[in-house]
Order: sequence, then structure tokens, then C-alpha cells
Amino acid sequence: MLTREQISDGLERACYVTNERVETAIFLALALEKPLLIEGPAGAGKTEVAKVLAEILHTELIRLQCYEGLDEARALYEWNYQKQLLRMQAGEQQGLRWEELSEHIFSRDYLLERPLLKAITAPSRVVLLIDEIDKADEEFEAFLLELLSDFQISVPELGTLKAHERPVVILTSNRARELSEALRRRCLHLFIDFPGTEQERKIIELKVPELDAKLADEAARFVSAIRKLGLRKPPSIAETLDWARALVRLGVRELDTDAVRTALGVLLKHEDDRVKVESKASALAPRRR
Amino acid sequence: MAALRDQLVSFIAALRAAGVRISVAESIDAMNAVAAVGLERERMHEALAAALIKDEADRAIFDESFNRFFAAPRANRGEHPDQRGEQVSAGSLRGRPGEEPFALPRDDALARDHEEKSSPSEAKPAKKAAAARRHDTEKGKDVEESKDAARNSDWMRGRWERGEAQTRDESPTPGIDAARVARIRAIERTAFDKFSDLDYDEARDALAPLIRRFRIRLGRRLRLARTGRIDFRRTIRAALQRGGALIDLNFRARRPRHVDLVILADISGSVRYAAQLMLELMAGARGCFRRVSSFVYVDHLAEADFEDGHLVMTPALDLYARSDFGRVLGELWERRTGLLTRAAIVVIMGDGRNNRLPARADLVREIGRACRAVVWLNPEDPARWGTGDSAIKQYAREVNALVPSRNLRELQVALAAIA
Repeated sequence: MLTREQISDGLERACYVTNERVETAIFLALALEKPLLIEGPAGAGKTEVAKVLAEILHTELIRLQCYEGLDEARALYEWNYQKQLLRMQAGEQQGLRWEELSEHIFSRDYLLERPLLKAITAPSRVVLLIDEIDKADEEFEAFLLELLSDFQISVPELGTLKAHERPVVILTSNRARELSEALRRRCLHLFIDFPGTEQERKIIELKVPELDAKLADEAARFVSAIRKLGLRKPPSIAETLDWARALVRLGVRELDTDAVRTALGVLLKHEDDRVKVESKASALAPRRR
Repeated sequence: MAALRDQLVSFIAALRAAGVRISVAESIDAMNAVAAVGLERERMHEALAAALIKDEADRAIFDESFNRFFAAPRANRGEHPDQRGEQVSAGSLRGRPGEEPFALPRDDALARDHEEKSSPSEAKPAKKAAAARRHDTEKGKDVEESKDAARNSDWMRGRWERGEAQTRDESPTPGIDAARVARIRAIERTAFDKFSDLDYDEARDALAPLIRRFRIRLGRRLRLARTGRIDFRRTIRAALQRGGALIDLNFRARRPRHVDLVILADISGSVRYAAQLMLELMAGARGCFRRVSSFVYVDHLAEADFEDGHLVMTPALDLYARSDFGRVLGELWERRTGLLTRAAIVVIMGDGRNNRLPARADLVREIGRACRAVVWLNPEDPARWGTGDSAIKQYAREVNALVPSRNLRELQVALAAIA
């Protein structure tokens, strides 16, 4: 069991710059053994929380990426039909009776474990990341409820499988659709927004140490300024870091209008966004020529 | 610590009163959360938020209530840390021993909110102030006084008034536009007959994600299934390569489902918004069907089309004529060749109010026989079906399904049932 301070230290060691809110939510998810639902804009570091958490706990991260049409066979388990068939043929040659045979072929050896089952049956505590749950169908969300409240899964042929060690469950959502109340009720909730200028500067300094400190500060300022422009796709933290790396590679010494223009493609992925920012680049760039 | 527990219970009650939905399980979580993090104010704040607030849009309400209930300890009191818990609860219970634990602080906005609910007449000044404030912001003036006076009560009452929509206008939640999400959610639940032109425009904004979802849903239903009848010949053939073991199963390709859609929408005053939104939604899902023929009607039938989000009808209809669905059915029946086929699903959107003219339910039966199905979507409240000049009960007997679709949410559910 980790204390609040250990989590704080762990996050820092894993180079995850964070705040009181995030730390408390993570601590509670561990202390109360409840799933943690993380919402926030794309690229604000939701998925990263799960990765960092696995690192802190020195355990495996099992990831389930949700998408439209994701079904139980992909998320939970599937019988290994081919293996079962081969077993049956071999059994026939040995002269096994059907009862003996069916005991075999519906055992765990013939189960293809998908992420959810894997997390439940893992011998030690793992971190289960259910990424972008809002992309999955409502049916799948309903199916998750049993798992999230009791940490058990029913397989008709095997009975109910209960987790030895409750996995730490992190769900993320971009709010492509509203999640059901039932799901929200079962989770703790955390909203992660884009970091403030100061926080982002810290992130840049931690992850791109080659960048000059002054430039890092200017870059952070610039990015948080353009996030306020109401772009189609505001730059994510990962893109900010890519941009910082690009600035290093381009040998930019100071962030003037030209420097901003040259590497803007790293930061902005829509033509209209680029036009919008470029038209204001001279006003936004920390230094003018 | 019983005092703290009571304090938390009344805090949760206050949040519920302000419109935040909190289940019993969540309140237990909240207690456990506080037990886990301790009483350090900022931590307790975040812990309670994680356990209780599942929608970022409610965060502003939460923060405000928290500050009121759990007052920050005064800076230089110099108490022993052990007494901190007492201090936290004492600060908000106004420190009077023996005071009723569930009593809410009466002198703040929350109490005002309670009073407003019980006596609507008292709400008026707040309402006026709120209106004044909105007016001011429109003009771009900065009138601090009225703002301050109105802030609390306006803020709480706004939630109360309409689907929590207005409150979020001011809540500064960057990233995801919480205000917009809340507005869309509210508009989805607003009944069509309560719509104004402004609502209609907002509803059209809300339509885009709905269209996407609807298309995906329909697409999935109509898609060729991965499983189905096994193609025996191809499966055996494949098995030959593996010594006769049926390793790979081959499925018989399903015939694609051809569905023609015939839409018939009433655009007379009473159900105009519902009809237009449905037509627009259907226009977005056009690709899922083989052919879509849209018609609108009041007293006559007219072909409808969407061009750049505007409804175009040929010939133009008199929107203020008396609805006559019986005649419209006759006109449709005359055009039946090539239109009303076995592959066609007919969707009728209307309230079935026929101004006591002949209902011609027999024609609906004939259409039902000719087509695959007839589905009737009624934007009217089911309680009013069959009252006055409504002939919906007569039609109900002849259609395959009669589904209420009073708001966008219901409409969406109803449309998903078509395919």
C-alpha cells in the first residue's frame, strides 16, 4: 500500500509533472480499490497516468484500446477453436469418451485470454488501462459494469472467475459521447486539463533537457497562448515536446516569428489552424525581429 | 468522528439540492475517501471531488459549496494539529453546540435557493437581476454591482430552471467546452413543442454528432455479418489442406440488404421542428440506404430535399393550410409505382391531427401491405394521443410501430429501431 507521499515521489521520479488533484485521485484509486475515470481533452496526459502508475507499482500494464464495434470476444476471451479441434482429433485416436474430452477442451488451456480476462486472472496486481471508453458502444459499457464493481467475469463453461488481486483500473474518455451514469457511479473521477504555462515549462525541461531553459519558457508560453485561440485541434503535450525537440534540431536560438513559422507543422495538424496561428504569429512570438 | 460524518452528509445533501446527482454508493465512497486522505483541507477537497463529482461541469458548484461548508482555517490560530478536524467542522457549523446537524447555513445562496423553490414569487428579484446581468454583458458593460448581487442566486436557479444549461455559460472549463456539452445535452431533452427558433439552431448544432452515431449504428445493422450460415463446400475444401480438420470456417456471403426509405413528414406549425430535424438526420444517413425519398406535407404532398442545410420542397407548400393527412395518403398512393415496394420502409412523422377530415387509415393499411414496414414517429406527448382531432389511434392499428419522439433523444432511439 503506497502512501500519498510515495505516490507524489513516484510521479516525480517518472517525470510526470502533476498537481494535487491528480495525486489525490490516484492515491484514492489505490486506497479504495476503485476504478478511476479520467476525462479531459485529447493529449493532456490521460493515458500517461496509467503508464506511470504501472511504473510506480513495478507491475505490468494491460491495455484495452476501445473502438466502435469492440465486442466481448476481443476484450474478454475467445475459445481457441482450432486448438480444440486438434485436441478432439487427437482424443478420438486415443479413444477418449466425449465426457473426458469435453472436460479438456473447455479448460483454461483452450482459452485465448484477451486484456480484461488477463487482468482479472493475473497472479499479482496489474494496471488495467481501458483507453477511450467513449469510443466503445453502449452495450460494451454495460458489459463492463460487472467487471468494475465486483472484479469478476462469468465464463459460462468455467463459471465465475474472480480476481486474486484487484487490478488498478484506469478508464479514459475524450467525451466523444456521454458515458452512462451507472459507469460514472462506479468510478472515481478525475479531470485532466492542459497544463498551465509553468507546469508545461517543467515538462519540457524534464523531457527535453537539451533545450535552453529560456527557450523552454518561451515555448511553453507560446503553446499555451495558441491553445487559447480556439483551434480545431489544440496542440497536445506530446506535440509540444515534439516541437521542442524540433527546435533543438533546427538549432533555434531564440523564438522569433521566423522560428515559429518554420516548425509549426509539428505543433498544428490542420491547415486552417496553421493559417490562423501564422496570421497572429508576429503578435504571439515572444521576440520580434 | 460523528460530527464530521454529519457534516459530510449535509454537504452531500446540499450538493444534491443544487442538482448534482450523487448516489448512496458515491457518498460512502466520499466517506472512505476522506478517511483515506485525512483532513488536510486541500487534499480533502480533491478527494471529495474525485468521489462525488463525475462531471466536470458540476465542478464549479462543488468548489463553491465546499468553500462554504468547509471554511479555510484561519491563518494564525495556532491550534494543535489534532484539533484540526474539529476546526474544520466547527467553522462551517457556525460552532454552536447542540445545533441541528442537518441544518444548512441559512444565510447563503443555498438557503436562498431553497426558498426560491418553495415560493416562486420570491425568485423574481433574482430573476430580474439575472436578466439585467445578461443584458449588461450583452452590451459589453461591466456593472459589478448587479453581477455580485445576482451571481449566487442566478447561478443556482439557472440549473434549476432548465436542464442545467445556463449555469455553464460562465463556468470557465477550458479544453472540453463544458458549457457547450451541457447545452447540447439540455437541448436533446427539450420537447419539440417547446422549441423556439433559437433552440432549433442549437439543435442543429447538436445534430452533427447524432448523425454520425446514427450512421454508424445503422451501418452496423445493415452490414454483412461476419458469422452466419456456413458455406460447406468452401469449408471442406479449405479443410482438405489440413488433413480434414475444419480449421478455417468459411461463411456463406449474405446478400446485402437493400432498403429503400420513404419519409413522410408533417411540416405544419405544430410539429415543424421535429420534422425538419428528422429530415436532416435522415439526409445525413442517406448512404446507408439504397434510395431515400423524402416528402413533406401539410394539406398536399411535396418532395423534400436538403441543400446546404436548408429544406427545399417542390412544389412549395402553404405552411398555414389545414393539415389533411387523408388527402396526402391518397396522393402518395397514386405515386406508389416504383416507390412503395417490398424493399421500402415508410417512415411517417406527424401528430396525426387531421382537423376532423377523413383519416383514410385504410390507405395506411394498403401501404403497409405493399411495403416492408410502416413506422410512425409521433412528436406529441403520448398522453395526448387520441384526444381532440387526433386520429393517431386509428392509424396505430395499421402501422408496424408507433414510437413517441418528443425530443432529439427519443427521436434518435426511434430512428435506430427502423433498420
